[in-house]
Amino acid sequence: MSEYLLEIKNLRARVAEKEIIKDLSLKIRKGEVHALMGPNGAGKSTLSYVLAGKSDYEITSGSILFDGHDLLAMSPEERSCNGLFLSMQHPVAIPGVTTANFLKHSVNAHRKFNGEPDLDAAEFLKLMRQESQKLNIPSEMLKRELNVGFSGGEKKRLEILQMSLLKPSLAILDEADSGLDIDALNMVADGVNQLHNEHNSLLIITHHIDLLNRIRPDFVHIYADGHIVRTGDKSLAAEIERNGYQNYLKGE
Amino acid sequence: MNLPELKTPLWGDDIPYVAGLREKAGRILHHSGFPSAKTEAWKYAHFDISSLSALQINTDVHHCDHDNCTCHRQPLPFSCYRLEFCDGQFLADHSDTIPGVYVKPLIEALFDGETKTYLNKSFPIEKYPFAALNTLYLEQGFMMIIERNTVLDQPIYISYHQSKSGYLNNMHNLILCESGSQAAIIEHFHCERANNYCNNIVNEIKLSAAAKLTHYVFENESVQSHHIELNSIRQKENSSYQAFCLKKSGGFSRHESLLRLEQKEARAEVNGIYRVNGSSVSDITTDIYHLAPETFSDQLVKGVATDHGKAVFQGKIHIAPNAQKTEGHQTHHALLLSDTAEIDSKPELEIFADDVKCSHGSSCGDLDPEQLFYMQTRGFSQDDARNILIQAHLNEVLEKINHPLIKEWLKDQFF
Ligand SMILES: Nc1ncnc2c1ncn2[C@@H]1O[C@H](COP(=O)(O)OP(=O)(O)OP(=O)(O)O)[C@@H](O)[C@H]1O
Ligand SMILES: [Mg+2]
Repeated sequence: MSEYLLEIKNLRARVAEKEIIKDLSLKIRKGEVHALMGPNGAGKSTLSYVLAGKSDYEITSGSILFDGHDLLAMSPEERSCNGLFLSMQHPVAIPGVTTANFLKHSVNAHRKFNGEPDLDAAEFLKLMRQESQKLNIPSEMLKRELNVGFSGGEKKRLEILQMSLLKPSLAILDEADSGLDIDALNMVADGVNQLHNEHNSLLIITHHIDLLNRIRPDFVHIYADGHIVRTGDKSLAAEIERNGYQNYLKGE
Repeated sequence: MNLPELKTPLWGDDIPYVAGLREKAGRILHHSGFPSAKTEAWKYAHFDISSLSALQINTDVHHCDHDNCTCHRQPLPFSCYRLEFCDGQFLADHSDTIPGVYVKPLIEALFDGETKTYLNKSFPIEKYPFAALNTLYLEQGFMMIIERNTVLDQPIYISYHQSKSGYLNNMHNLILCESGSQAAIIEHFHCERANNYCNNIVNEIKLSAAAKLTHYVFENESVQSHHIELNSIRQKENSSYQAFCLKKSGGFSRHESLLRLEQKEARAEVNGIYRVNGSSVSDITTDIYHLAPETFSDQLVKGVATDHGKAVFQGKIHIAPNAQKTEGHQTHHALLLSDTAEIDSKPELEIFADDVKCSHGSSCGDLDPEQLFYMQTRGFSQDDARNILIQAHLNEVLEKINHPLIKEWLKDQFF
């Protein structure tokens, strides 16, 4: 339909009277991998929340089209069911809800949206086992309450498990690599690479080149002070790794 | 409701001690009356006594129109011994016999004088106007003795079914758990229509040395109902009492527990969950008296209030001077989900011993928006997310139930 899967035009967003996203534009085609790098507090997570539909943010101008549709008009659950996935920098714990149950509900909510029948317990368990093994997530973890007492790395692997169960067309990974040991990093990267194909796209928010060496981005954007200040290829990430952001920050 | 109009001929009026109890109860009611908005113990959940004025006293005539009073029997996913009440009447003929357990309708037990040493002996009746009302019409209920060292293989399920509007049911049960006995009792109050009635229940429970009782009370009363329940429990050495009170949104309900841990190493756990929707009112009031050393109590109550619902939790832990090395804990967490709902929480500690561990915590808040958002980003609708979080909130209490089938059944029934 549209050439772009995601098309952000001149977006401005604020929270608590503070403008955080300042005239941001970004276009992502189907099949592309984009990386977003930038200093702490630049507004990367804010952008990911705005895309996922968190209500704390006020959009003061600009537009976002997702597969040609007005993303800002959709509820967070509609965005999710339409194929947008956010792996959160800080996944939320939900005491009293087991991980397996949560995942089942989530998968079935998507199936319902697509007019498919619910997976029954056996079908779901089979699917969950198969996907969780790839990420080396033990079934003991899936019986526990969602993210309650999970280590940082366990939480991140669980986010990727959700991604592999929901098969989104646009996955935004906000620091999916933070807190991962080298084996976990490889598993996460493998998991993401297996899902990636010419029909879906990735927006990878990261501070480290390690993940980008494993999931090769087509574009690397430097995001500072609320907008993209430079776009390049993977070599830009290597340069940031060497020199930091000082060349891209306005002398303040 | 005028007291003189209430007098009605009852079985046992010719038995001096029974007549004496009824008379005393009448005097107390006459003297102190029913609680008003000014009565401290009732000030949060005020009971409008005029709402009972249209009700008739239900005595031993069985009014139910059922051809067969077991027609409302619900299938249960666990095996159990059943005792049946219909419209406030204990139906001994429709109840199971239980090996190792002696059960007798209260009317018969009153005649035989067996109840004399127990009836109204476990609580100060002057402080409990509805127990006085209950005693004024003392007739329905049962006396149960779980015999020494009896370990029941399945729970005793007591069905209190209400088929009609228009009655005030006074039921009084004596439950004596002899030493070393182990049992579970499930009281299930249910009504399939929006009937207008009042259940006024007194359970006097005694646990002898090393006895164990798990006591479930599941209130699924109608929106027009009134439910007033006093559980008065006395515990001897090393006995253990575990209660779960589940209150589905109904009419007006007050569930009051008075526990006396009279000998050392007695343990009590009082758990509860409630939901109040519409204009439902729920009051959970507990008084736990630690009267001996090394006694233990723990309370966990969780609830949810929406619409114009109103919920009250009043919990008081009293620790007597000699009750050293005692522990008393109390927690109440509630979700207040509308501006028009109300929750009043009043935890109190009254400690006269120095070597004790006590805690109480109370909170009242909304659902966590971060959790809701996280769930929505995974495709959960807002309503589903809210319901799941509400269930998770209440499940913390249900998860403490040891019997897996009872736990599952209660979850199914409650949610
Ligand atoms: N609810 C809020 N109220 C006030 N300020 C906020 C709020 N949410 C975000 N901010 C501010 O917005 C700015 C951007 O935060 P954001 O989390 O988007 O940064 P980030 O680029 O993801 O940083 P990091 O690399 O550390 O994850 C920060 O200065 C943050 O303090
Ligand atoms: Mg961030």
